[in-house]
Amino acid sequence: MELSKYGVKLKRLTKDKIELVRNWRNDPKISQFMEYREYITPEMQENWFKKIDNENNFFFIIEFEGNDIGLINIKDVDYDKKEGEAGIFIYNSDFLNSTISFQSVLNMFDFCFGDLRLNTIIAHILKDNIRAIKYNTALGFKKVPTKKEVYNQLYTLNNEDYEKNKKNILKLLNL
Amino acid sequence: MELKEFINNFAEQFDETDRTEFQKNTNFKDLEEWSSLSALTIIAMVDEDFGVAIKGEDLKKSTTIEDLFNIIKSKL
Repeated sequence: MELSKYGVKLKRLTKDKIELVRNWRNDPKISQFMEYREYITPEMQENWFKKIDNENNFFFIIEFEGNDIGLINIKDVDYDKKEGEAGIFIYNSDFLNSTISFQSVLNMFDFCFGDLRLNTIIAHILKDNIRAIKYNTALGFKKVPTKKEVYNQLYTLNNEDYEKNKKNILKLLNL
Repeated sequence: MELKEFINNFAEQFDETDRTEFQKNTNFKDLEEWSSLSALTIIAMVDEDFGVAIKGEDLKKSTTIEDLFNIIKSKL
């Protein structure tokens, strides 16, 4: 399965690519932003893939100009609640902090709200990851208020807010 | 459009970086505050303030603020 839109190709994660993803994921430049930061063994990665290789989880390799540069996902899709949790990382330094991440996210979110017919996309963001908070806010995510301040904060995005922000982002990206 | 004006407008898009760090030779992608969102913000600033549409590719091709200024100038 492939999603080609906005100048990027998202390729559904297949078993032959899980070692590549494991190497990316174990690199401190990526793991520092993850809640789980321990070393991931090949066996752990295989077990993880068995758990996510289904219709409730869509993990995609991001391909740009023929290179595999990162991973994007919608996971734990609940078709009754019509929601799922999004995540992304760009591994290739040449494309880190570029507009590619926005192009990838818009591509996958169109799939989530369109094909999967979700109403809400959720994201957990660590409180000190200011960069991710600003990024998600630009996409239209809103923080869910909690009684106590928590380290791993919940943000949600609905289709209406997404469409509004998407329009502006696409205009800026000339897409 | 003057380079000085462009550097000022560029610097205004950042909240946490000291103004003195923005010089014509600044490698802007090395700034700690630089992010995907900064890229988008700079594209918006260039569009609003100078009426020029630049692309992510233009940012990728630029190393310094002056490099980006020259690309924008060529599109005026």
